Amino acid sequence: MIIPHPLLGPRDASEFVYLGDASLIDRPDPRAADALQQFHDYLYLRDNPAGEHRELWFHEHGDRSWLVVTRNTLTHEITAVELAKKVALERGRDR
Amino acid sequence: MTGLERLPGGLVDRNRCIAFTFDGHPYLGFPGDTLASALLANGVRMVGRSFKYHRPRGVFSAGSEEPNALVQLRRGAYREPNTRATVAELFDGLDATSQNYCGSLRFDLLAVNDLLASFLGAGFYYKTFMWPQALWERLYEPVIRASAGPGRLSGDTDPDVYDRGYLHCDLLVIGSGPAGLAAALVAGRSGARTILVDEDFVMGGRLHAETHEIDGQPGGAWAGSVVAELGALENVRLLSRTTVIGAYDHGIYGAVERKTDHLPDSKGKPRQILWRVHSRRAILCAGAIERPIAFGANDRPGVMLAGAVRTYANRYAVAPGKRVGVFTNNDDGWRTAVDLAAKGVEIAAVIDTREMAPPVDVTSVEVRMGGRITTTWGRKGLKAITLATGEKIAMDCLAVSGGWNPAVHLTCHQRGRPIWRDDIAAFVPGTGLPVGMAVAGSVNGSLSCGAALREGHDAASAIMQDLGIGLAKDALPAASDESVAVMPFWRVTESRGRAWVDLQNDVTVKDIQQAHHEGYRSVELLKRYTTLGMATDQGKTANVVALAILAEHGGRSIGDIGTTIFRPPYTPVSIAVFAGRSRGKAFRPTRLTPSHVWAEGRGGTFVEASGWLRARWYPVSGETHWRQSVDREVRLTRSGVGICDVSTLGKIDIQGEDSGTFLNKVYANGFAKLPVGRVRYGLMLREDGFVYDDGTTARLGKTHFVMTTTTANDGLVFRNLEFARQCLWPGLDVHLASATEQWAQFSVAGPRSRDLLAKIVDPPFDLANDAFPLMACGTVTVCGGAPGRLFRISFSGELGYEIAVPSRYGVSFMAALMTAGEDFDAVPYGVEALGVMRLEKGHVAGNELNGQSTAKMLNLERMISRKKDCIGNVLSQRPAMNRQDGLAMMGFRPLDRSVELTAGAHFLAMDAEDRMAADEGYMTSVAHSPELGYSIGLGFIMRGPERVGETVRAWDAVNGKDIPVEIVPPHFVDPQGNRLRG
Amino acid sequence: MADHALTAASPLAGYARTIGDVLLTEVGDYNLCSVAAPLGEDEALVDSFDVPRPATGQSSISTDGATRLLGLQPDQILILFRADDPDRAADQVAAAMKTAAYVTDQSDSWVLLALEGADVCPVLERLCMLDLDDAAFPAGAVSRTVMEHLSVIILRERDNRFLLFNPRSSARSFLHAVETAAETVLLQSNEPVSVRHRRGTS
Repeated sequence: MIIPHPLLGPRDASEFVYLGDASLIDRPDPRAADALQQFHDYLYLRDNPAGEHRELWFHEHGDRSWLVVTRNTLTHEITAVELAKKVALERGRDR
Repeated sequence: MTGLERLPGGLVDRNRCIAFTFDGHPYLGFPGDTLASALLANGVRMVGRSFKYHRPRGVFSAGSEEPNALVQLRRGAYREPNTRATVAELFDGLDATSQNYCGSLRFDLLAVNDLLASFLGAGFYYKTFMWPQALWERLYEPVIRASAGPGRLSGDTDPDVYDRGYLHCDLLVIGSGPAGLAAALVAGRSGARTILVDEDFVMGGRLHAETHEIDGQPGGAWAGSVVAELGALENVRLLSRTTVIGAYDHGIYGAVERKTDHLPDSKGKPRQILWRVHSRRAILCAGAIERPIAFGANDRPGVMLAGAVRTYANRYAVAPGKRVGVFTNNDDGWRTAVDLAAKGVEIAAVIDTREMAPPVDVTSVEVRMGGRITTTWGRKGLKAITLATGEKIAMDCLAVSGGWNPAVHLTCHQRGRPIWRDDIAAFVPGTGLPVGMAVAGSVNGSLSCGAALREGHDAASAIMQDLGIGLAKDALPAASDESVAVMPFWRVTESRGRAWVDLQNDVTVKDIQQAHHEGYRSVELLKRYTTLGMATDQGKTANVVALAILAEHGGRSIGDIGTTIFRPPYTPVSIAVFAGRSRGKAFRPTRLTPSHVWAEGRGGTFVEASGWLRARWYPVSGETHWRQSVDREVRLTRSGVGICDVSTLGKIDIQGEDSGTFLNKVYANGFAKLPVGRVRYGLMLREDGFVYDDGTTARLGKTHFVMTTTTANDGLVFRNLEFARQCLWPGLDVHLASATEQWAQFSVAGPRSRDLLAKIVDPPFDLANDAFPLMACGTVTVCGGAPGRLFRISFSGELGYEIAVPSRYGVSFMAALMTAGEDFDAVPYGVEALGVMRLEKGHVAGNELNGQSTAKMLNLERMISRKKDCIGNVLSQRPAMNRQDGLAMMGFRPLDRSVELTAGAHFLAMDAEDRMAADEGYMTSVAHSPELGYSIGLGFIMRGPERVGETVRAWDAVNGKDIPVEIVPPHFVDPQGNRLRG
Repeated sequence: MADHALTAASPLAGYARTIGDVLLTEVGDYNLCSVAAPLGEDEALVDSFDVPRPATGQSSISTDGATRLLGLQPDQILILFRADDPDRAADQVAAAMKTAAYVTDQSDSWVLLALEGADVCPVLERLCMLDLDDAAFPAGAVSRTVMEHLSVIILRERDNRFLLFNPRSSARSFLHAVETAAETVLLQSNEPVSVRHRRGTS
């Protein structure tokens, strides 16, 4: 596969390491009353859609950016690629 | 025949002869010949035996679709089985042999299978060898293996070299027939980066096999001039002898270039290259493959595809027979009669299945419109045919055409499904083509030369426009649109004998009917039940005929039945080319430690660990067993001082205002309050709460930490830290840089380590216990000014330090340490001694950090701070991971001190049965302790801490051991830690 | 401690070899430091160098040619230069900064292999999956990629000269791969290389 990197342009997938569902960015609040349940769901109950999927890829042999790649798991069509750091900040993650 | 008497014309070079042998007989051919064309020129008609019935077989096609003419090339380690004679280029001294017979090709003992044919029908493997089961391994499988499978590998290491590489282009053109050449011409003249690929050694495709005219000149000459023009363009790369084997995601194609297969000797050059082609766009111009008609005994040598007969006559100037008949259901088949007659070959008859007027006026040739061949004659080669009317016609070659199947294979590699077109009675590419791929010419069902040129030209022009590449004004080459009308005709129903559909797998019309009768109605099931379409040709000539027969019996249309899925590779590929240069020691990179050269000089023994070569032990003279070396290294370290290169541990430079906060989040225990100049042991969890990694992290400055990881997890921890930094806490000011390779780091351990370092570390640095206590760290200079980092940490349990210098000083510094240690009998130690000492001390390593262990199991649960969050904190509190009766790491020693323990042994109660149901845990690490003088082990056992003193069995069925062991605390040496604080 | 004075050793011992018309040399005598700015102070970092800040995937070079900045990742720059005192390279960089910065000396983390010659691209196409065409990867372009299972940084210094930075510990393995590729492309050739590999040698 070719991943269109937002900074570097098209790059071969073999430069990347795959992690999985981009919802891993949304780490639950450990202080929540039901934190145990939330962490359980966060870790084990991720979607595995046949179709469009937002997922995390790490450009390990590249610029070391984590990316959020929107990929159709049936066709491998990639419709969007964003820097995961930007996505995380937009989703309210901070420090 | 000498093989040199040829028809006029053709692309063979008559100025030079090539001598070759087939089954030991010498023959002659010309440059430009394939093995098949040269054999036909020499009158060799029988070239092999069929897979199942061992029937005599001859050359059937003139391309990579060949089902019959499979041969072995070369000798010894160079031997290559299952090569298609139709694509093997002739070279001087080529040594080819036929295969798949027992005895000799002409008198094959296994031809008895042909007499047993009625027992060897569809699914016979499944039916015959079921019972009794006991005979399977002893009788059936050995017999089947001995008689099945065409060629034989040499069993020796392949002496040739193979390579791989990467190509990039705007447009990849696959196939160099009229469509491909027209497309490449447009792209090349437009300045696009173009790669034109063809599996043949001459570009031009069927233009060399036919007698078309383009722009007023013969098609082959036109192809030659186009190839010459393209070859002169800077932006065009021509790859002949190159097969595109697969279409992958996003415009990536795999292609195998055969660089020296056609030469007697590779002379050290790569024999084949696997190219990974990155294309923005591709045009598939793969052409079409002719299909046969099924009729009785249609497998005899001499029965060939009609287009192939033309190829041999027009391109190779070889007449495949002296008296040639044609059997066709389409106009294209008539070209064979016309072309061969023009070359002076006698035409026995043209038999056309269609009830109509002859489409071509061939004077003085017998024509049988509406004719059907029921059977053929000739035991080892065709002699005559019989028509349904009973008429018998003598001939030694029959050119058969059942129509043309577009070579849609590559369009299906991304799950595209071909669709049926009634007008040409063939499958054409459907929707779902690989991204960026267009199709043009015959592969698109446009079977005439003129249509192919037009489609190639138009497809390339459209792509140039799409890519924004300025289009060169270019006239479309002119050619005729010859008639290709076809009337579907699949099998002669009047035939009573066996009528072959798949020649390679010996699948007949009857087999397909029988499979259908037994309920195998899906095409995928039919394939697996009858083996139709398997093996080297993957049914390139057979599949559609089989589908038609299946359709006929199910009362369905061929389009409804559909085809089986085509997968890469398009043609067989040697495993060696996938390995490329990555063979032997070059299989993957080897990492060398900074002191490797020193260790080599010292005679160290090395072991590979996580890609690193590490010194395992350093034997000295007189030592005959590795244990002697290791025991000595341990004893001398514990009594004096030992030195070990520990540079392989991962080192990550962590800088930023928020580094402490960051470390608090990635480590289970706290780091934010670690003072500058101090080191702390850190425990890292996965988010699921299990232990991930451990190591020490030092604070070198207010905003500067350096973390160490285990050797194996260096890259993984770095990746996870970047995930935490970018995705989980992007607001933190923290930066990471790998420092693993930057520093040569040495463990200096033992009671004299401080004395040794006093001679190394530059004054006025104070090494005294008060000034530089356990878990201190500092930036130092060593050996008169070189930069260094010093850590007071110990894996061995002794007074110990780790000291680091830039890697360029690694060898020199190791030597300096040894020189400085001469007064203290300093000893270098390897990873075995390191492992022994950590085990004696009860430190965990990879065997214990195995991905299944919890902090509780490692007796480290108190390290998980409950005052702060960290990765894995919440889920590590799950009750099942903190059971009081769960596994816990303990020490073990044999009751009989002379016995050696083994890792992997399971713990069973003394009176328990030898069953996994009674399992109470397992041994993770063992070693002989020189300090204690007996074998010791670490392992996990249920309710460990409350069972100290209890005896259990260490049961190791794999090694046949059953050893009573005593459960002891996991610290065997200096449990109070007095030595390391000294 | 003059009796133990340390000597620096390069992992390939100053390797140099010509294969065909491609010259392979181990580049010594350089320093390499990564620099990152504190959060939000990226602009200050830029001002500290007399060199324009390169975009990720590009490099920029000082007018005297002595300092090159490599843009390899979004919030970090790699500086290729020659330190006054190789043992204090990071200090020199930190001192040159107009603002606080996080400097990590990486001089010993890499081995620099220079490949130079008219046929350098045909050799690299056996090793490197990046498109090294003049337009796609012009002089000054830099990237980290994977070659022979290793993370390798590739910098195009000039048309026909590339620098490959590969991890120091794997220097010998990587050199072996480069040598093998160069030998198979350039040695014992049946035809002139320039004909077979016209593309990319301009």
